[in-house]
Amino acid sequence: MEVRITEKDNVMTAQLAGRLDTAVSQQVAAELQPLIDNADRTVVLDCKELAYISSSGLRIFLTVRKAAASKGGKVIVRDINNEIRQVFMMTGFLNLFEIQESNG
Amino acid sequence: MAKKLLNDNFDRLAARQGLYIILVAVIALEATGLLQYYFSRKAIREEADNRAASEMQVARLAAEKTTLTIEGSAYALAWILEDYVRKPDKILDEMQRVMDATPVIMNSFIAFEPYYYPQFGKWYEPVLSRIVGNNYERLQMGSETHDYFETEWYRTVMETGKGYWSEPYLDEALSMMVVTFAIPFKDLGGSVIGVLGLDISLNWLTEIVEQIKPYDRAYSTILSRKGQLIAMPPETLTVERSLKYQAPLEGTGWKMSLTIPEDDIYAPLHRMETMILFLQILGVLFLLLILFLTGRNQKKLQDVSRNKSRIEGELQVARGIQMSMIPKIFPPYPERGDVDMYAAVVPAKEVGGDLYDFYTRDEKLFFCIGDVSGKGVPASLVMAVTRSLFRTVSVHEKSPQRMVTIMNESMADMNEANMFVTLFCGVLDLRNGHLRYCNAGHNAPVLVTADGPRMLPVEPNLPLGVIIGMAFKEQETDLATGSGLFLYTDGLNEAENAAQEQFGEDRMMESFNASLGSREQIQTMTKAVGDFVGTAPQSDDLTMLYIRFMNKQISEETERHLILHNDIQQIPQLAEFVETVAEVAQLDVGLTMNLNLALEEAVTNVIMYAYPKGSDGLVDIEAIIRKDALEFIISDTGTPFDPTAAPEADISLDVEDRPIGGLGIFLVRNIMDEVKYARSEDGKNILSMTKKLV
Repeated sequence: MEVRITEKDNVMTAQLAGRLDTAVSQQVAAELQPLIDNADRTVVLDCKELAYISSSGLRIFLTVRKAAASKGGKVIVRDINNEIRQVFMMTGFLNLFEIQESNG
Repeated sequence: MAKKLLNDNFDRLAARQGLYIILVAVIALEATGLLQYYFSRKAIREEADNRAASEMQVARLAAEKTTLTIEGSAYALAWILEDYVRKPDKILDEMQRVMDATPVIMNSFIAFEPYYYPQFGKWYEPVLSRIVGNNYERLQMGSETHDYFETEWYRTVMETGKGYWSEPYLDEALSMMVVTFAIPFKDLGGSVIGVLGLDISLNWLTEIVEQIKPYDRAYSTILSRKGQLIAMPPETLTVERSLKYQAPLEGTGWKMSLTIPEDDIYAPLHRMETMILFLQILGVLFLLLILFLTGRNQKKLQDVSRNKSRIEGELQVARGIQMSMIPKIFPPYPERGDVDMYAAVVPAKEVGGDLYDFYTRDEKLFFCIGDVSGKGVPASLVMAVTRSLFRTVSVHEKSPQRMVTIMNESMADMNEANMFVTLFCGVLDLRNGHLRYCNAGHNAPVLVTADGPRMLPVEPNLPLGVIIGMAFKEQETDLATGSGLFLYTDGLNEAENAAQEQFGEDRMMESFNASLGSREQIQTMTKAVGDFVGTAPQSDDLTMLYIRFMNKQISEETERHLILHNDIQQIPQLAEFVETVAEVAQLDVGLTMNLNLALEEAVTNVIMYAYPKGSDGLVDIEAIIRKDALEFIISDTGTPFDPTAAPEADISLDVEDRPIGGLGIFLVRNIMDEVKYARSEDGKNILSMTKKLV
C-alpha cells in the first residue's frame, strides 16, 4: 500500500495505490493526516490505483470526510473501480462523497 | 361328438385364460398408473416448492439489500452528524446530500431528547421533507401536539439502543405508505441524545413483490411484524385452493408471503392424468385384440397344438412389449465424453423377466439391472411394473437406497402372487465418478479396473417384494477414469453346456479387459459364453450392461485451509488465500473482492476480540468449494462471541476507532447469502458464511 500526497492550485491530493486492508489501515491513517489538517479546503482522494478497501479503510475515508465537514472544506473521491463502487453502494457511503471520474 | 366336446371345453378354457391375462394386465396397468400419478404429484409439488423457494430467495435478497443500504445510510449519517450537534442548521444540509442520492427516503429527521436545546423548549425535531424530486421543505415538527416522546419508534430506540423498523403507516402529506427506520443519535462522547430517523417510501417493495411470479396466477405480499400489509401487487385473485409460502426478511422482521393457486401447480398433472387413462384404455383394447386374433387362429387350427401356438404368439407380443421398454440405442449418449455404455439381452426361448434401465439427470447416471423370479407373462408383467417404478421413483430421489426402499414397499404391498425381483440400483456421478449403489439380492456386479476385474463388494440384502419394511443398506465407491462396472443377470454365470456344467464366475472373470470399449467387452463376453454353451439350449435370459466412466476432467468438491495467528499483520495471507480459492472456483474480480472483504471483516473481528490482548491464539479458516456455492468456516477457541448478534458499535473505543454501526458485520451480511454462528461443544466459535454461485 502506498500513499503519495501532492498539492496543486490549493488542492491537496492523496494518491492511494494497492490494498487498503486492516493490516495497513493504521499506517495509512497516519499518512493521510495532512489531508485532515487541511480539510478546510478541497482535498482529493485519488483511488485510481486503489485495488481494494476494507471497512477499516472506509473508516479512514469517513474521518477525512468528517473533518472536511466540520472545517468547511470538501472531499472528492476520484476514480474508484467498479468493485469499490459496489462496496460504497452497499454501505450507503456513495451518498456521502462527491465521486468524480477523471477524463482519460 | 366326443371330439367336439373336447374342443368346446378347450375353447372355454382358452377363453378363461385369456380373461385372466387381461385381468392381470388391467390390474398391473392400473397399479402403474396410480403409482405414476402419486409420484408425479409428489414431484410436481416438490418442484412448486423449489420454484417458490428460489423466486422468494431472489426477491428476499433484493429487498434485504435495499433495507441494509438504508440502514447503512442511517448509521453513516448519524456518524457524520455527531459533529453538528452545536450547529443544528447544518444538520439539514447534510441530510439533503443523502436524500438527493437516495430517492426512496421521503423524510429524514432527528428527534432530540426533552430540553436538549434549552432555547427550543421540550420538543425539537428538525425534519427535511421531500416535496417533489429534489425539492425539500425544512420543518421543525416537535411540539406539544406532536409529542414524539410517546411514539413507538422513539421509545423503542431509546429503550433498546438499537435500530428499529417501524410498522408501516400512511403518510397523509405524501399519500403513500411509508416506514420509518430509526437509530440512536449520539454526541461525540457517545451518549444518546436523540433518535435519527429516515422515512422510506414503500413503492420499491411493491415492485419487488410484482416480480415474484413462479406461476401465472401466483402473487406475493409482504407483511409487517404485526401482520399489516406492506406491499402487494395491484391485482390479486381470490382462489379457493392455494398453497402459501412464507419467508422472513432479515433485519426488518417483515415476512414475505407467496400464494400459488393449486390449479396452476397441478395443471400439467391433470393433462398427464388424461393421457395415462387414454393409454390404459388403449392397452386393454390392444390386449383384447390380441386375444381375439389368437382366439380366431385357434378356431382355424382345431387341434391341441393351437393352444401352444396361441401362447407362443402371446409370448412373442409380450416379448415385443417388454423389449420396447428398455433402452436399446447404443451408444446412448454419443454427445457425452464422460460415459461409454453398452447393453445386450440374449433372450431365452420363453419370455423372461430380465430388465435394465438407465437415464441421466443432473449430471448423474441413474441405472438398474434386475431379474424377476419365474418366467412367462407374469414375470414380464412384473418386470414392466418394476421398470416403471424405477422411472417414477428415481425422478426425485438421489439415493439408490431410498429408491430401492420405496420400490420394495410398493411391490411388497401388492405382491399377492409372491413374485420377487432381484435388483441392483446405482447412481453414478458423472462429474467425479462417485458411485452410490444399493443391492436388492442381485448378483454382485464386476468392477473392471486397470488392475484387473474384481467383484464390487455388495450387501446381499433381500430381493424386492419379499418383506415390507426391509432395511436396505446403501454403499458407495469411486470409479477411476477408464474403469467400468459390469452388471449382469444369472443367465450369464449359470449358463449351462450340454454336460450341464455352468459357465461360472471364474470363466466370467477371465473374459474382462479394462482397455476394451463397452461394446467390445460385451461382445467378448457373449462370445465366451457362447463358445462354452455350444449347442445346448439356453434356459434363461442373459442380460449384460457395461458402464465405463470416461470423464477425464474430474471435478469434485474441494477444500482449502488456512490457519492464522491473532495478528492483524497476517491479513495479507488471508487475501492470498481468498485469491487461491477464487482461482479454484473461477470467480470474477468483483466477487473475489467482495469475498475478500467479507472474510477480512470476519477474520479481523476474531483477531481483534476473540483472545485477550497480548495472548496468542489461532484462527482456522476452511473454504469448501462446490459447484453451486462457496462456504467459509471460520473457527477459533476464544471467548464466546456471536458477531451476527452484535450489530451495534462498541462505545468503549475511541471515536476514531469506533466501527460505524458495526460496519464489518454489516458488510459480511450484505455480501454473503447466509451467515450462521454456533458455539461448539468443545468450546469453539464457529462462523459459517455461504455465498451462492449461480
